[in-house]
Amino acid sequence: MTKLTRKERMQKAEEMAGISFWVDLRKGRLTKYAIQKQAKRFLSMLFRYVILICLSFIVIIPLWNLVRDAFTAPAVLGDQSSAWIPQQTSKIFMEVALSKNLMNFLPNLVKTLLLTASLTFLQILSTGMAAYSFARLKFKGSNILFFFVILTIVVPTDSMMLAQYATFRNFDILGLIGLVKGNGQGINMTGSFVGQYILAGMGMGVKSGLYIYFMRQAVRGLPISVEEAAQVDGAGFLRTFFSIVVPSMSGSILTVSVLSFLWNYTDTYYVRLLNGTTTSHLAYTYKGLQGNVRWALSSAANANKTWLLSINPQDPFAQTAAISACAILVVLPLIIMYAFVQKRFVQGAARSGLGGD
Amino acid sequence: MKKEKDTAVKKPALSWYKRMDFSKKMALWGFIFMLPWLLGMLLFFLEPLLKMLWYSVCSMSLDGGKFRGTYIGFENYKYAMGGDPHFNRMLVEAFTNMAKAVPFQIFLALFIAILLNGEYKGRGFFRAIFVIPIILATGVASFKLREAELAVATVESVVDLDWLIDLVVNSGIPEDLTTMLVEYVENIFDVVTTCGVQTLLFLGALQAISPSLYEVAKMEGCSQFETFCKITLPMVSPTILVCLVYSIADTFATAQVSYADTTMAFSQYIYDITFKGQAPFYGYGAAMSFIYFLAALVTVGVVCGIVSKGVFYYD
Repeated sequence: MTKLTRKERMQKAEEMAGISFWVDLRKGRLTKYAIQKQAKRFLSMLFRYVILICLSFIVIIPLWNLVRDAFTAPAVLGDQSSAWIPQQTSKIFMEVALSKNLMNFLPNLVKTLLLTASLTFLQILSTGMAAYSFARLKFKGSNILFFFVILTIVVPTDSMMLAQYATFRNFDILGLIGLVKGNGQGINMTGSFVGQYILAGMGMGVKSGLYIYFMRQAVRGLPISVEEAAQVDGAGFLRTFFSIVVPSMSGSILTVSVLSFLWNYTDTYYVRLLNGTTTSHLAYTYKGLQGNVRWALSSAANANKTWLLSINPQDPFAQTAAISACAILVVLPLIIMYAFVQKRFVQGAARSGLGGD
Repeated sequence: MKKEKDTAVKKPALSWYKRMDFSKKMALWGFIFMLPWLLGMLLFFLEPLLKMLWYSVCSMSLDGGKFRGTYIGFENYKYAMGGDPHFNRMLVEAFTNMAKAVPFQIFLALFIAILLNGEYKGRGFFRAIFVIPIILATGVASFKLREAELAVATVESVVDLDWLIDLVVNSGIPEDLTTMLVEYVENIFDVVTTCGVQTLLFLGALQAISPSLYEVAKMEGCSQFETFCKITLPMVSPTILVCLVYSIADTFATAQVSYADTTMAFSQYIYDITFKGQAPFYGYGAAMSFIYFLAALVTVGVVCGIVSKGVFYYD
């Protein structure tokens, strides 16, 4: 007997059970109920697609504007006829954006992705552990501590810039480090990636409070009986956490990882605060580019003769097009990454196999 | 952190750990798990926050590259609430905008997440699309070039919706309702682009719901609506709370308020006063920020206090 694929098995089962509309139609035993059901299904599908397509349209327009600007040929830039779809396309601005003079794209991308991935990992580890403790550990003052989690969500970090800079510039714990070093000065944590790693590893990175809160809610949504069962069977705390809790909340962890990756990748606040002198961070480089696009564009054009002929760095339209091309390059890795990751969003295996809860 | 783990797990010689009560062991591990966050919070969050609290009751001056504060009591706060010509009005405006936007954001996010969640063709495509707002909201793809404003103005084509508004206004629906509806429809672009995070969080929560629950409901003959009310809503209710907190904090942090015929970000106003005045105004800026946090915090507290009554947890 040959092995059937999942689809074929489903079809066969449907045929045997006589619940498929199409089987019913073929065999001429169509009931009123089946027609009603099919119509309902069709209508709900239609409703879903209409709404999703309309909303997608709203979401895509800003991105489409970038694509349109980036791929318009220099000759028809700013032309009314190219307001929606460029009359004449060219890849020249993408080539310019990829060049060394604008963002130094490829080397910077690799560095940024590495940095982002490690920051994400540290952040998920620290916030996940804290979230589990918050969800399962009840002790005096745990509510007060959780209040601080909410506070880290509510207080926008950039409003504390001055005080945070002072803290990182001269990091010290109650003057102890200064005492040990002997000069009364703390550690300067600005100017390298170390500060960012420390923040992420200690649960204070970009929007960490939100992750703690979300994962805490996710843990509280898991029945505690499974963990208790594991502990009765002799699993310790670490084992319970890593082999029971983490797999069963993998969906939430995935969600949070996606967010953390997105925000670490696009974060410019901490990069500027802690590491403003280096320019290898992609989003930060991109943001800096906005201020001196004319200069960057003319230096790029001077390096390449074909560009020099077709692009005028003084032209605001050309500048917009170049920046748009850069924005696409910055955003594209994120979308590609998400397109791969979303396949892992599968309908919850979380609580399957759990009876009586 | 790692060292502590190793010593506790690998060295059975630690007799005090072996002899410990099970519940005490759990508490110890729970504390260890929380420790990195706790230290980080104290050192990198609370410390700057307290520093700022000190700035806010001081008159700050930059003096030879070092900050020097002279204590002046609550003068900064008094000035923010009474003397500043814009601050009060902006705070109220930010608050009303938030109150209008947040319920709509939550509703729309849940709605989109439910639509995205089912089984249908092109699911991957649509899911990938709805992560774009999160990326766009970070400001990575938005830019303003001083010289290029002209370019944007000429290319942007405006869709004229006035005839539709006229139609709705003349159809006999009460005017307050129509103005509200029109406002929502006009803002739908903003709302859709700001509810990306909430959509993703809801999607994650929806996926964590066990399919067996839906199976049971189907067997028992629940209608779609009943299934939504009795299963989906309770199961995502913890996430609704998270999304509310996030929405309130986020809309407050990015609030746009009117200022001299245009709109500007509230945080930008505070930033400008703090750093771009004739004299360094750090103390006053800190005081404004504090009033701002406090308003957001009180709102979050009140809303969560009400909503958390209806939240369903397994424990």
